[in-house]
Amino acid sequence: MEQIATFHTHFGALTFQKKLRALGDSAAMMPVPRALSASCGTCVKFGMDFDPAMADEDLDAVYAVEGSGKYRLLFQNEEE
Amino acid sequence: MSKLKQHGLIIVAGAVVGLIAAILSWQGNPYNMGFCIACFLRDIAGAVGLHRAETVQYIRPEIIGLVLGAMGMAMVGKEFNVRGGSSPVLRFVLGFCVMVGALMFLGCPLRMVLRLGGGDLNAVLGLIGFALGILVGTFFLRAGFTLKKSTPQPKAEGFVMPLISLGLLVLLVLRPAFIFFSSEAPGSKAAPIALALIAGLVVGALAQKTRLCMVGGIRDAILFQDFHLLLGFIAIFVAALVGNLILGNPVNFSFTDQPVAYNDGLWNLLGMVLVGFGSVLLGGCPLRQLILSGSGNSDSSVAVLGMVVGAAFCHNFGLASSAKGPTANGQIAVILGLIVVAAIGAANLNRKKA
Repeated sequence: MEQIATFHTHFGALTFQKKLRALGDSAAMMPVPRALSASCGTCVKFGMDFDPAMADEDLDAVYAVEGSGKYRLLFQNEEE
Repeated sequence: MSKLKQHGLIIVAGAVVGLIAAILSWQGNPYNMGFCIACFLRDIAGAVGLHRAETVQYIRPEIIGLVLGAMGMAMVGKEFNVRGGSSPVLRFVLGFCVMVGALMFLGCPLRMVLRLGGGDLNAVLGLIGFALGILVGTFFLRAGFTLKKSTPQPKAEGFVMPLISLGLLVLLVLRPAFIFFSSEAPGSKAAPIALALIAGLVVGALAQKTRLCMVGGIRDAILFQDFHLLLGFIAIFVAALVGNLILGNPVNFSFTDQPVAYNDGLWNLLGMVLVGFGSVLLGGCPLRQLILSGSGNSDSSVAVLGMVVGAAFCHNFGLASSAKGPTANGQIAVILGLIVVAAIGAANLNRKKA
């Protein structure tokens, strides 16, 4: 399933992409879709099943891509 | 068709911004300066007496409109998120440095595009420098640069910039004796208040909706070969050019005799290297920082305050260029600014994780 992870920082996206690539996923960084965020940050599109253990503090949320610009929230990271 | 749907809004937004800028110049703003975040923040700094350069003192209603327009649109879209606390002092210093670069070149990235649309070929050097600065900044992003994440802040924090903007509007309308108003150009050249305010509101709302950003366009093109934001940038240029031609604003493709500009290529270029580099580390151009400051982002508000203070320093210490050219002090300041921004970049590389 295609998913998109959003981040609070560009560095968070970079780290997440590296982590997933090391696990064999073809994770790719791209500008975050407007529908998901008003910020102009970086997101990561990836295929392997998301596990909350993959999240660090820089991760904001993970969405399932449901075709033609539709997204479904899978995971929302908690903040203090 | 889906491409048009995807990119249509940013192209329309860019075109509207370019046209509005041409109209503002036609209605009184200096030529090729229908909009300029750096120049207008500098004018506001002068109006409240932070610097005493008599030719650049005016409370520009466009800035007030930008902040409030962005706030309105963010509220409508339920995107008014109050966040902050991501290295605020570093952001202040980066904002300061960006302003030093912008006042070397004589314009923010938005005015750079508007200068191109008015035929000012000096801005081509600015554009090259701007792209170079962004390229250098992306090296830092790729190497793990981060100012650390922002966190949710008290609601009141998000309303500070909009309230300051409203306060400025009151001062502009009441014109109390302690506020400075230039009687000479360029500070005295201004479109009518209502028109300028509405222009700011429209551009602020559009920019919030579309995330229009001069730095983001080139950054995304370099990092991801994504040209979405760059389309907005190009639309501003085309619309400003067409608007200027229709309205009879001067359009002469040349290096000399351009409004509020000089033709020392090296310093036009280096000034914008500093703007591009600093803005990438901030995450957006001065326009974008202003829009975010109206959307509840107090990190961007701090960057804007850094720009205002930077502008005051630029005029108090003779760093800002003029139509006569750059100053020696300004040249030293730009070099120092580049060193400071590079040092901030290097000091915040994070390689521990992953």
